[in-house]
Amino acid sequence: MMARLKSWEGLLLATLAVIFLFNVWATPEFISPANQINLFQLSIEKIIMALVMTFVIINAEIDLSIGSMMGLSACAFGYFFQLGVDPVLCIVICLAIGAVGGAFNGFFVTRIGLPSLVVTLATLIGFRGLARVMVEDHGINNFPAWFDRLGQEGLVGRVPFALIAFFVLFVFLYIVLERSSFGRLTYVIGSNKDVAEFAGIDTGRHKMVIFTASGLIAAFAGLLFAARVGAVRGDVGNGFELDVITIVLLGGVSIFGGKGTLVGTLLSVLIVLNLRNGMGLLNITGHIQTGVIGILLISSVIIPRIPLGRGKLKAEA
Amino acid sequence: MLQKIAPQTLRLLALVAVMVLITLFFASQISGFLNGRLFNRISSSVAIMALIATGQTLVILTRNIDLSVGSIVGFVAFATGLMVGHHPDLNPIVLLVFSMLIGAGFGLVNGVLVAYARVPSIIVTLATMALYRSSLVWFSDGKSITTESLPQWLINFPNTVLFSLGAMEFRAAFCASLVVVIAVALAMAKLRPARQIYAVGSNPEAADLAGIDAARVVLAAFVLSGVLSGLAGYMFLARYGTITVVAGLGFELKSVASAVVGGVNIFGGSGSVIGAFLGAILVDLLENGLRLLPGLSEFWREAVLGALILAAVATDTVISRRLAAVRAARAQKEALAAREVAP
Amino acid sequence: MTNPTLALRSVSKSFGMTAALSDMTLELFPGEVHAIVGENGAGKSTMIKIMTGVYQPSSGQIELDGAAVVLPGTKAARLRGVAAIYQEPMVFPDLDVTENISISSTEGLVLHRGAMRRAAEALIARIGMKLDVDRVASGLTLAEQQAVEIARALSQDVRVLIMDEPTASLSAHEATELRRIAKSLAEGGVSVVYISHRLEEVFQVADRVTVIRDGMHISTRLVGETNPQLLIAEMVGREVGNYFTKMASTARDEVLLSVHDLGVAGVFQGISFDLRRGEVLAMSGLIGARRTDVALALFGILKISSGTVSYKGAPLKVASPRDAIAAGIAYVSEDRRKLGLAMALPIRWNISLATLRRYLSALGLIDVKAEAGMAEVFRQRLNIRTPDVEMAVGMLSGGNQQKVMLAKWLNMEPDLLIVDEPTRGIDVGAKAEVHDLIRAFAAAGGAVLVVSSDLPEVLAMGDRILVMREGRQMAVIEAADASQERIMALATGQRGAA
Repeated sequence: MMARLKSWEGLLLATLAVIFLFNVWATPEFISPANQINLFQLSIEKIIMALVMTFVIINAEIDLSIGSMMGLSACAFGYFFQLGVDPVLCIVICLAIGAVGGAFNGFFVTRIGLPSLVVTLATLIGFRGLARVMVEDHGINNFPAWFDRLGQEGLVGRVPFALIAFFVLFVFLYIVLERSSFGRLTYVIGSNKDVAEFAGIDTGRHKMVIFTASGLIAAFAGLLFAARVGAVRGDVGNGFELDVITIVLLGGVSIFGGKGTLVGTLLSVLIVLNLRNGMGLLNITGHIQTGVIGILLISSVIIPRIPLGRGKLKAEA
Repeated sequence: MLQKIAPQTLRLLALVAVMVLITLFFASQISGFLNGRLFNRISSSVAIMALIATGQTLVILTRNIDLSVGSIVGFVAFATGLMVGHHPDLNPIVLLVFSMLIGAGFGLVNGVLVAYARVPSIIVTLATMALYRSSLVWFSDGKSITTESLPQWLINFPNTVLFSLGAMEFRAAFCASLVVVIAVALAMAKLRPARQIYAVGSNPEAADLAGIDAARVVLAAFVLSGVLSGLAGYMFLARYGTITVVAGLGFELKSVASAVVGGVNIFGGSGSVIGAFLGAILVDLLENGLRLLPGLSEFWREAVLGALILAAVATDTVISRRLAAVRAARAQKEALAAREVAP
Repeated sequence: MTNPTLALRSVSKSFGMTAALSDMTLELFPGEVHAIVGENGAGKSTMIKIMTGVYQPSSGQIELDGAAVVLPGTKAARLRGVAAIYQEPMVFPDLDVTENISISSTEGLVLHRGAMRRAAEALIARIGMKLDVDRVASGLTLAEQQAVEIARALSQDVRVLIMDEPTASLSAHEATELRRIAKSLAEGGVSVVYISHRLEEVFQVADRVTVIRDGMHISTRLVGETNPQLLIAEMVGREVGNYFTKMASTARDEVLLSVHDLGVAGVFQGISFDLRRGEVLAMSGLIGARRTDVALALFGILKISSGTVSYKGAPLKVASPRDAIAAGIAYVSEDRRKLGLAMALPIRWNISLATLRRYLSALGLIDVKAEAGMAEVFRQRLNIRTPDVEMAVGMLSGGNQQKVMLAKWLNMEPDLLIVDEPTRGIDVGAKAEVHDLIRAFAAAGGAVLVVSSDLPEVLAMGDRILVMREGRQMAVIEAADASQERIMALATGQRGAA
């Protein structure tokens, strides 16, 4: 399995190198630090949510509600801020909403036993609805200057807070997934939930933690968006779930669970960002970019199936 | 007693009961809620959604999902608008076939990838949702279809009143859609190949043993979903006249919601087109009612819709699990009792 | 007699190195009920799968009406009139009885509900059942679902109907009904193959009976020319070389587990035994004896509804595997693929799964070095043949997978080890190694409950042997008093053997 994963990551790395070199060749200003930071900054919310989505999908679940949760969190920030609540308290409230919303998903999946696809489809609609209830059809802006600055300007040199947060979170989650027992169990439960149950593992609690974390990080992403753009509307994060899932699957995480790595997700993030940026520099519009990524997604499932002359899993005698 | 009524019939009855209760609730809160305008508004909107939900139902019955329907509707609406703009004298039926064929083509791509390349439907249609949408963007080249470019008959078609019951106008679009839904419902009940859709979703292993070609059935479901989405695209064009690249955005989720609220089991095998149709009406009824409800922001409707889907699925799952448990317990009791008697 | 409807001519089937069926010859005549008996794993299911087109023979051929045929799949077999029904019926839960019966039909595009209903009613009547054809299949009892399956087969003009353990889950009354159906189908000219573990049933229903053992044909006789004792002897008779060495008991005095009148509602009842430290208790029985369910009840998966279990001198309270593991009870499942191992994950991960907590540092991180060291120790101690412990466990052979599973639970250092079918599907050498491991665990003071369908294994391992049949305890016998014939007699319901 490890060899196979490595080979997938190798393929991703090669793809990334090709796209990167093409970008450099086509538009020399591509490698300027400003463009590189901008590259991350423009999609920062998606790539942060992709990190947690990696856990969700390795665990053989899915969370379609993250885009809506992101919108809900951003709108809640605007709503409470407008009511005169202290911005720091607003942030805390938003994160709490994220955690509660995630736990709500987790409850229906683990306790009622509904498929996460259905539950999070419903909350995709529901959370978005709550977001719209809060801001109705107008935008909210004029956030405190420090909040906007945090989202728009460099915190350490030119590197903004969100980018630092992404890398810190990446390192933290990498350690959790690769080295901790929680990460280990994420794989085992995703690979075979019954085996985990028979080994005395509380799979319900584990999934609950993952869904809660997914909601929490989506809410965090919503705040990043509010700070970066300096304004929120009811449609913040609309459709982001699909881009995030695409990134994760393209990174080699199996939709059936139990397989994938955060390094794969990171490589996939870089590929998608470079591809979009490169296409953007070539004046290819966002919708078309999404289509290209859609093709990549289907290929990412079909290509590994093409036998490479390696042995398959031996059938049980 | 309950065993005599098929679970599916029970579901439909429950759905109708819920619809009546909701209508009564709104009627008691909103003065003049029950009028012809409400019927007309809902029927116009359902005319499009019912078609998409019907196709979605066929796909869900086979244990799959089609998230690309919204993009198909958008693309077909645009392509049809362009076609009729260039050839204003085109026969309406030829134009209709044109719309359905484009839809079928998209459905075929989905179906081949799911049934033969064996890629999970959620991945395939997630990707093709993006892909079809970008094809639309590329194809449209940033232009929109406008009402002026369309022939008058097309614009008049959806609002032509065929007949009226009091203030309730039965408009052509709604009637056409109703005819399609009933036709599909009849086909699902009466045609042999249609029953295979249920069989494949109900127990794939048994379907295989019974000699049913599951891949072909799944392919057919996706193609039909594409055809129905194409049809919906045609209606969409006729109703709105103005088509931009975002046409049909979000229809995929609304169609899944209609089907699920209408009692179509997300795990496949059970549910009906009529249920999905009623589901679409219920969803629209709620949206309209919430918008008119005094003292409540109209923006609540999405939040309520989400809650409704969750409640519908959770109730359905919990009740059917209970029923199964009761039946199993009774069967076990009988078995053990009979064993006592045995030597 | 006339010509056989279906015949197997020297059919062999092997999977890799294992021969599941060798040189099998069988003739089925119209109008006969032909019973096939044999131990679990004797090759019956492989034979059915060849007759129904699921497997292709490695050599030999299948003949229908005297002509050699190839059955490339179940559909082809059905079209030629060969169908099978199983213990777990294959119905469509969401469709009603009428539709379940007519689903395979391909005549006409439009369904005529009235005609279909009448046809279904006629078929149900033909097999002598009373069943409302408008009912949805998910609400039917197992017996009714089987009737639906038989009716479906009849609707396709079935000529050979294979019934695989059809009565294993039925009540006595339902089983009688089913046997009557089998007989009446045969009277109508169908060849009925009847596979059963209930010997008395074989004598009630069959015209002829074939014994198979270790994938080979042993005998075919008219029922009048044989008797239960002879059948049992033929089923278990083995060449001396195949026996495992009888292991000496290592039982101590301290009773670890004491089970009294244990029951799970609707599954099993009246199980009583004591298990001492150092002792191996083997549970024997045929399919449907519910031995695994007893194990699952002790492991906290099934809810105990009657009786008492005392463990380490106190009442045992387990509501989940978590509780059981905390109490020092380990359960090695019979189903490696579904419940035993995460096949896609590394060997090391699988071995440490139940004991992961031991390899955590203060920060909650896994001490990979310690974990790998432990896995390496088990690799050597259990002689797991693999280049390293980082390989996916699914890449290993069945025997080595079994050892990984044992390693997972031995590493837990349990007091009570429950092992379900410890050597199913693994080669002889690995079997002996697994037996030694289990005995070594007992010798070190652990108590072992072995569930096994392999009679030589039961005799070799068990200090005492508990025989179950259809959810009841038949007897607990001392190893010294046990023989394959006696166990088989008890397991097939010959109460006198106790």
